[in-house]
Amino acid sequence: MAMKNRSREAVVKAVRYFLILLLLVFVLFPFFYMVSTAFKAEDDLFSAPPKFLPRVLTLSNFQQALQPKFIRYFMNSFIVTIGTTIIVIAVALFSSYAFSRLRFRGRKFLLKIIIFTQLFPLIVIIIPIYILYNKMRIVNTHLSLIIAYLAFTVPVGVWMLRGFFKNIPYNLEEAAMVDGCTRLTAFIRVVLPLARPGISATAVYIFIVTWQEFMFALTMLTGEKMRTLPVGILDFIRQYGVNWGGLMALSTLITVPVFILFLILQRQFISGLTQGSVKG
Amino acid sequence: MESTSFKQENRLGYFFIIPTFLLVAALFFYPLVKTIIDSLYKSSLVLPKPKFVGFGNYIAVLSDKTFYEILLQSFIWTIVVVVFQFLLGLGSAFLLHKQFPGRDVVRAVVILPWIVPGVITGMLWVLLYDPQLGLINHTLFKLGIIERYLTWLSSKQTALLAVIFVAIWKGFPFSALMYMAALQGVNPELIDAVKIDGAGRWGQFFYVVIPEISPIIRITLLLTTVWTFNYFEIIYIMTNGGPGNSTHIFPTYIYNLAFTRFRFGLAATYAMITFIILLLFSILYMRELEKREMLD
Repeated sequence: MAMKNRSREAVVKAVRYFLILLLLVFVLFPFFYMVSTAFKAEDDLFSAPPKFLPRVLTLSNFQQALQPKFIRYFMNSFIVTIGTTIIVIAVALFSSYAFSRLRFRGRKFLLKIIIFTQLFPLIVIIIPIYILYNKMRIVNTHLSLIIAYLAFTVPVGVWMLRGFFKNIPYNLEEAAMVDGCTRLTAFIRVVLPLARPGISATAVYIFIVTWQEFMFALTMLTGEKMRTLPVGILDFIRQYGVNWGGLMALSTLITVPVFILFLILQRQFISGLTQGSVKG
Repeated sequence: MESTSFKQENRLGYFFIIPTFLLVAALFFYPLVKTIIDSLYKSSLVLPKPKFVGFGNYIAVLSDKTFYEILLQSFIWTIVVVVFQFLLGLGSAFLLHKQFPGRDVVRAVVILPWIVPGVITGMLWVLLYDPQLGLINHTLFKLGIIERYLTWLSSKQTALLAVIFVAIWKGFPFSALMYMAALQGVNPELIDAVKIDGAGRWGQFFYVVIPEISPIIRITLLLTTVWTFNYFEIIYIMTNGGPGNSTHIFPTYIYNLAFTRFRFGLAATYAMITFIILLLFSILYMRELEKREMLD
């Protein structure tokens, strides 16, 4: 009986590892082709049937990907993403404090509005915002793009942070208030340090979403100098065809750091999701 | 005494939410009102001044064959993507729940499609689907699954399926993340309890784990449904709605109406219809949260 159980365990384990392998192949094979293409020389790029691996490794695609204009797009993306993340956290900290700690009239209704905006179709708001920006002559600036990004990041930020704060017991603050803290200093000294993992999980989430954003960037940034990476990368599409080598080299350069960042932060991020938005 | 502190709390509460609601007013309330108004006007490049037509746009849209094509495609796209993201997400979460050597790296790898910009995903798959240069035709041909090279993205029979596959690949890691987080929250004592009662692996799964995480399943399903319905860049990059209109869904079609054809009135009408459809899901989502007392 024990033997039989053990061999069954072994089979289950083998099946599990096989499925994990299958999952990895499913996820990785496009990335494999991305990296492989990035190292291909001209004649390998256009060979039919396609080559899985380059016959000769070349770095010329990376040279193209590191042209000054792409570095500029990278900096633009960085400015917009960091700017958005900082503003969202600042604005959302106040609201989420209010929604998790203060009783005020209409609280539940206002919270519902926040949630409602999270599900709002962005295609509804992009046209009026674009027309408004045009009238105000603030199209094609990073600040106007950041403001548009606040539309879909602030509500999520408020909702996630509120979840984290709710998980921190209120009596910790009460104890601090007995010791002479005010409501606010108790929050700053007691709650904020405890909520740090949650705040960073929220920041990472907003960073990921903003870093990728395409539709608003495509619409609002009309000048080449202001472009962010997701739009700028399309420069590799030319009239006579796509420069696949350069495009995939730049894609590789963008993907690797994001992967490493996530590898480092993932534990915090997953447990952050557990405490925050999921459990509420 | 009690009432002054309540008044204070009231005031402080409003004070703290002012910035958030200023943004909500500017970025949601104003555009929504503007869209409602625009949807009542006819506008195009040749019309210097938009003309008031009442519900004329709505009648025009609802009697247009294209609208029903887009509606059908939007539903197919959303349902297929959401269902497969759910299955793959839940499956991966189970596979990667128990500890094993290298689990953290595997998890980070599986999340990768979700954190890579959608434009890159789209272009990468355009290359993979390419009839001559792409790996897909080549591999499937070698395996004997297809008899000749297919033009995946430019024929009406395969284009929608092809972009759906990419959207599943790109988005399933989010569901996986949610379910990983949910599984971490399942109390192991509950599983032990049914094990003592003689439940096998499947029994544990259906009687303990699924009921325990079902609230998160419902929330994730609703969220991914709404996001998928609104998803823009994969289709815009890969097919831009073509061939014909065969891969257009509401967001891509509306974007084209507004920014390529400058039919702002018609775009606003389509946008309002999208809004009304999604309203239903928002209400379901809100109810779900209310039931779980997540709003208190």
